[in-house]
Amino acid sequence: MKPYVPQYVGTVTKYVFVDSPDTTPQDIATAAYEIAQGVMIKETCFGCQITGLPEDVKRIVDHLRLLDPFRIFIKDRGFPPGDSRRCRADLGGARPGYLGHEYEMGLVRYFSHGLKETDGMTKQALKKAAGNELPVEEPLDAEILEKLFSEEE
Amino acid sequence: MNKNEQPVRIAQITCGAEYSGIQNEITSAAETVGAKMFYPDVVLKDVKRAYKDFGLPVKSPDLKLAIARAEAIVEGRIEADGIFIASCFRCAEAAIVRNELRRYIIENSKIPVVSYSFNERTGASTLLTRLEALSTIAKRRSLMAREVQVGTTMGVDSGSSTTKCIIMRDNEIIGTGWRPTTDVLKSADDVIDLALKEADLKISDIEATATTGYGRFLVGKHLKADLIQEELTVNSKGAVYLANAQKGFATVIDIGGMDNKAISVNDGIPGSFTMGGICAGASGRFLEMTAKRLDVDITELGPLSMESEGGENVPMNSYCIVFGTQSLVNALAAGYKRADVAAAACHSVAQQVYEQQLQEVDIKEPVIMVGGSALIQGLVRAMGRMLRTEVVVPHHAQYIGAVGGALISSGFVDKKEKSKEA
Amino acid sequence: MAKVFIYPATSLILSDLVERFGHEPLGSAISIREHVQTPGFDSPPIQMTSEDPQKGLKWAAVEVPSGVRGRMSLYGPLVEQAEAAIIIDEPDFAFGCMGCARTNELLVFMLREKDMPRLELRYPATKEEGVTFVAKIKQFLKDLEVKHE
Repeated sequence: MKPYVPQYVGTVTKYVFVDSPDTTPQDIATAAYEIAQGVMIKETCFGCQITGLPEDVKRIVDHLRLLDPFRIFIKDRGFPPGDSRRCRADLGGARPGYLGHEYEMGLVRYFSHGLKETDGMTKQALKKAAGNELPVEEPLDAEILEKLFSEEE
Repeated sequence: MNKNEQPVRIAQITCGAEYSGIQNEITSAAETVGAKMFYPDVVLKDVKRAYKDFGLPVKSPDLKLAIARAEAIVEGRIEADGIFIASCFRCAEAAIVRNELRRYIIENSKIPVVSYSFNERTGASTLLTRLEALSTIAKRRSLMAREVQVGTTMGVDSGSSTTKCIIMRDNEIIGTGWRPTTDVLKSADDVIDLALKEADLKISDIEATATTGYGRFLVGKHLKADLIQEELTVNSKGAVYLANAQKGFATVIDIGGMDNKAISVNDGIPGSFTMGGICAGASGRFLEMTAKRLDVDITELGPLSMESEGGENVPMNSYCIVFGTQSLVNALAAGYKRADVAAAACHSVAQQVYEQQLQEVDIKEPVIMVGGSALIQGLVRAMGRMLRTEVVVPHHAQYIGAVGGALISSGFVDKKEKSKEA
Repeated sequence: MAKVFIYPATSLILSDLVERFGHEPLGSAISIREHVQTPGFDSPPIQMTSEDPQKGLKWAAVEVPSGVRGRMSLYGPLVEQAEAAIIIDEPDFAFGCMGCARTNELLVFMLREKDMPRLELRYPATKEEGVTFVAKIKQFLKDLEVKHE
């Protein structure tokens, strides 16, 4: 077996996603480049990826969030950007994680709306909003089923 | 592989390979045989649609993804030369998907497919023969399509138990050699000498040579063979050739000394196959052990087993070669006849192959049994009963790999003739 | 600041919200990063080897498929570190690290078993539900702050 020597040890990589009528992925990447100070920035179709020491990356993502706070979303990534082990060009297809992001990005307008609406809420208003039902769907109770069947008969 | 040759593109449709720590084994095995694995590229919309279309309500997202990837290939949106479907051993959900996808691909496309279940111990060497076969079927269709042997050619099958050699001339077998495998190269030389002697030829008379079996690389290099080929494709070619079943569907079963192969063939070209090799209890080795216990030569085990009705009544507590043999000894002590015990061993091997392997290929008639174990009539009878069909055992069944090798390698005779003319 | 296990462990929105509201999200990326940044034998793509399903035996028995045990070796240590958890029910389309339903069942069970604050909800399907979704998570994370003070 071949030995493995990792690259970028001690760094973190963050994805920055944007879905906004006001801010383009390119705007995000440009803003990141402006304050990069040597930190690795990679522009992508959804925003950018930032790789560097944790404190440097934090400095940049904190700044980026301010650009469009309700429509920018940030997430950790295990791999550095462009890694051939995960790259679509090398694998012939997208890594599975990409489809998961695709799924959540399909719901992003709800998240953005939620962030905007809850932003100025008072403690009480937030508590009230949080108290609304968003129940996990439970399978039908056996008793209810029985009742339904007997009603049908 | 020739440096200018394009690698064979094998679509990987798997669940759990990365997390079992074996993805690299798959990739390396493919590279060794001149193939490249790739993930069919689909988007979420495709996954949702394929999941709905296919109608199998699985829960695991990666299995939904597998369905979408298979559909994209079958519908021609993504091109692939071959398909490798695999999932974790012992996962029932994935086994159902794997089986149904295999069936779906075979019924709706002509792309060769192999399905496999792995665990963390699955290594590149285990995957090699399977991917080599897949790659051969994809890459060498013209070689596989050969139906008639021409010129004077030789096939050498260096198996784990025995080494075999066949010499053919103008579509006829003219020389045979058979020896237990001891020293791989010496056994090969011995069987070649035997075959040459029978054919009354010199090695220089041989126009093309192919090697197959476990020792194929070593023997192939030694003989400077024109073709070094895994046994899955070679044996299936040999089987349909000898059984005169080169047109239409056929199923080839080869219970070998170390592993078993079940291959589904269409118009002489293998489509899907399985290869097992985890348990000695499901191999020819179990029958060798039984013969030893019964103090008969392995060649006498067949006739002995046929003296029994089938041996299904002999209590077998285990499929395992150790404990299964113990069950047979116990049966003898309990007063069962030797013939019943011989038949019970045949039944046990057939049943295990049926349960563990034949579920992975679509059994279509004729069912052809080949390999040395096909000469044990009790085993053939047991398999026939299990599959409810008359099993065909062609002549020279024990030489199947060597026959397939001699047949396929005659493709090189044509090439050599052409280059001489030029 | 609390360590909050996010489920789906690959979730963009949960990773974002947990960090946005001042806590540390624990998800797949953390474990994968550790694998990718640790020297050893080369085993692309995610540097998992046959040893990882073996490590997974701590959380799942040997008759459990290797892919489940391998995934558990990624999540088990994170669950042990976790001080709270947010669970979105039925991640039907979270692939890769979250691609195995059997692993996901075991993981949810482990998160429920552990004595720690836990929020369970589902993805929003309307804008209004989006407000409830964010509010619930925000409130849950605020309550964690109080506990940590």
